[in-house]
Amino acid sequence: MSDQTKTVLRRTLIAFVALYIVFLVGPTAGFDVPAIAKQIQAGPIQLIQFLIVGISNGAILAIIALGYTMVYGIIELINFAHGDLYMWGVFSSLTILSLTGTLTTNNPTHLIWGIAVALVFAVVFCASVNVVIERLAYRHLRHSGRLAPLISAIGMSFTLENLGLIWAQQSWLVPSFGTTGGASQKDYPDLLSRLFQGLGYNVNLLASTGIGLRFTIKDLLVIVIAAVLMIGLRLFIQNTTLGKAMRATAQSHDAARMMGIDIDRVISATFLIGGGLAGAAGLMDGLYNGTAWWFMGFRVGLFAFTAAVLGGIGNITGAMAGGFIIGLMASFSDGYLNARWTEAWIFAVLVLILTLKPTGLFGEQVGEKA
Amino acid sequence: MLKNNFRLGILFGIIAGLMTFIFGGWSVGIIGVLYGVGLGLALSGRLKREAPLNMARQALPLAATASAVLLVMSLLQNYVIAPAIGQSSAGSDIVIPANLAGILGGLLFTLITAALHGLPDRQEQIGKLILLAAIIVAFPFVDTFTGLFWLAQVIFALIFVILGMGLNIVVGYAGLLDLGYAAFFAIGAYTTGILSSPLHHIFLNFWLVIWIAAGMAAIFGLILGTPTLPLRGDYLAIVTLGFGEIIPVVFRNLIDVTIEEPFSCWIVPGIQRLFGGTSTLSCIYIAQHLNLTAGEQGINPIGRPSLPVLGLFTNAHPIPWYFLIIAIILMSIFLINRLRESRLGRAWMAIREDELAASQMGIDPVRTKLLAFAMGATFSGFAGAFYAAYISGIFPDVFDFSASILILCTVILGGIGNIYGVIVGGLVLINADRLFLPALKDFLTGLLKSTILPALAHNPTLQAAVAENANPILYRYLLFGLTLIIMMAVRPEGLIPNAQRRMELHEADEAPNVTATASTRN
Repeated sequence: MSDQTKTVLRRTLIAFVALYIVFLVGPTAGFDVPAIAKQIQAGPIQLIQFLIVGISNGAILAIIALGYTMVYGIIELINFAHGDLYMWGVFSSLTILSLTGTLTTNNPTHLIWGIAVALVFAVVFCASVNVVIERLAYRHLRHSGRLAPLISAIGMSFTLENLGLIWAQQSWLVPSFGTTGGASQKDYPDLLSRLFQGLGYNVNLLASTGIGLRFTIKDLLVIVIAAVLMIGLRLFIQNTTLGKAMRATAQSHDAARMMGIDIDRVISATFLIGGGLAGAAGLMDGLYNGTAWWFMGFRVGLFAFTAAVLGGIGNITGAMAGGFIIGLMASFSDGYLNARWTEAWIFAVLVLILTLKPTGLFGEQVGEKA
Repeated sequence: MLKNNFRLGILFGIIAGLMTFIFGGWSVGIIGVLYGVGLGLALSGRLKREAPLNMARQALPLAATASAVLLVMSLLQNYVIAPAIGQSSAGSDIVIPANLAGILGGLLFTLITAALHGLPDRQEQIGKLILLAAIIVAFPFVDTFTGLFWLAQVIFALIFVILGMGLNIVVGYAGLLDLGYAAFFAIGAYTTGILSSPLHHIFLNFWLVIWIAAGMAAIFGLILGTPTLPLRGDYLAIVTLGFGEIIPVVFRNLIDVTIEEPFSCWIVPGIQRLFGGTSTLSCIYIAQHLNLTAGEQGINPIGRPSLPVLGLFTNAHPIPWYFLIIAIILMSIFLINRLRESRLGRAWMAIREDELAASQMGIDPVRTKLLAFAMGATFSGFAGAFYAAYISGIFPDVFDFSASILILCTVILGGIGNIYGVIVGGLVLINADRLFLPALKDFLTGLLKSTILPALAHNPTLQAAVAENANPILYRYLLFGLTLIIMMAVRPEGLIPNAQRRMELHEADEAPNVTATASTRN
């Protein structure tokens, strides 16, 4: 028997054993194949519904994943604080919506203006915060190995998270809607539905078809905004001078510096763009999912990071694709497996990808493999 | 030189005095002794080495300054601060003995520690050990006698000391950043919970369970370590973080465990049905609707250790628990020190420095790394078993990411790679968290109620905002986060660093490693 056949046989055996174990213990974690088959048979239309929800949430994840992947591409740092920055995006937009009186109004003009102002503010705010974070916590550690900046990033994540908790506690900034204290989840009012109802549209775009599917105006907006942002970013990176400088810096700091590129400025610009995207994602997620919670950044941040890794970290197109894949997985897991286990499944995917294929699905990027 | 030393004495006095502001009452006695030892240690490095008596004489003016500062601040606390936070001043029956104990203790211990430095090296070490042992043994009795009741929280800090020592093997010795270390803590605790609680009607003896817990944690260390073997640096950190997140989710949700053999239950019958037959196999069940971990409700109560003379350990008497954990820590220190100097320990450090070179020298990286994970996990298994028995209840929320980070914080604060640094880091950080912050909260609440809020009565909005936010407990993880950032910026090697690591870090300062930034990317 040749070596190649042996390898193939061994791999088949390992795959078989792994599959068997998944089938054996899977039902406990919601992975119950017969039950899932029955559920799909009973309501095939549901499958499309989960697909829609998955794509919309995936679009938000993809935008957050872009921030991770851009920063990793340029300074090889997992910016742990990015997920919490997105949480700040949720809270800063909620604060602006509250202070402008948009939360309580039914007047469409007021709603449109309020949301626009909140979007601009959240983007600008998160972008500047991200630049400050890089300045305070990462820049001085650029030459001290890999662990020091990573630990600093974790510290920054904790700091932002708990500042968010304090922020959530300020009832004059963030309305509490019946929930008290900073630690509880807060409602983020469904302003988009209110706006379109006020304008006389049906919120569900597929209501007239009568097939029981919901594709709301929110889904449409989230997907469209995400697509615009991603295409814009792609064009920016490909065509502008700053984009070129970013790609050059990502390849080699030293060579880029020799070509006259101001590395510090380029890195700041990367953090600026990533932060702005996180702010936009924060507003979109608030309006789409309707909650604001100080701890939301951790989970979503890790999901987005998984998406970035899945697509090949450092690869912008990959991060977008990864975001959609993780969004779909989370949605199907919520729907068909068990929402309580979704987190475990997603993190299992993260572990599997990192150990089996650290370059990701689309990665031409060289991974961290020894 | 002398002026500097005086400044040191005043600094120590002020810090100790501020602590009495927060704790009040009898605390000045214990604080006095502790600052005495600290001041003595800090001094002994600075003074010229002479005969013991001369050393003591050198240290005397300074120790007296510090004691005087402490006395003034302690009296200030009792007669000015205490009324301001709405407490009555302690009577002279407490003030006089407490302050005497504080001042004399501070003075005496400064002098003794300084004098010890005058002895030859070997004797100095033995003397310091005896002094330390005396403090460790005396502490719980003093604590009970003075009614401060710090012991319960100190035991918590000691649990984290064990955890820190275990993590230090993985992060400090072998250089593998583990962001999910609390998972092993959870495995140790849940093993104990499942094997000695009414949940499954299994009541094994604690002295047996603690070893099983350590063994389980070690096995999981091997299992979870295996997939991380080809990884390095931040990817390794993320994989361990993933495991650290999965494990609490698993424990939270193992409330309805159903394990059916897939072939007999649905694969073969399904195929038969597909071809129009009827199923002939009977399904093999391994477990059905088993409530393994009790989910969010947690496992409660959990069996506790007992000893022939002391009887069953209870919550009312923390002293036996204290000595139990001290015993576990001493055992761990001994084992870890032996491990570090063994062939395996040297292999860990070689792997940390350069994996490729180490493997060329005949070190098996797979075995070495796996053993690092397993050994590190073992100690958290001990800690988990002790924790479960001590609390007599375990809940999944305790073991999430923030616990992992808290443990990492103690290691980084103390000094990566140095076991004594880690002990100090754990004691400082966890006591700050569990003793200092709650006391500070009470202090602030009292201060607000009796002094500040009445003064703000003209502005109700401001008054409400101040009252809402003056809660230091709320900021605890914020403080940990800031600790990490500041330590990385100011002193990445920790408070008491490993000499070798400090050298490396400072070498790196002088000559930035160019290859680290210019790797292959596209």
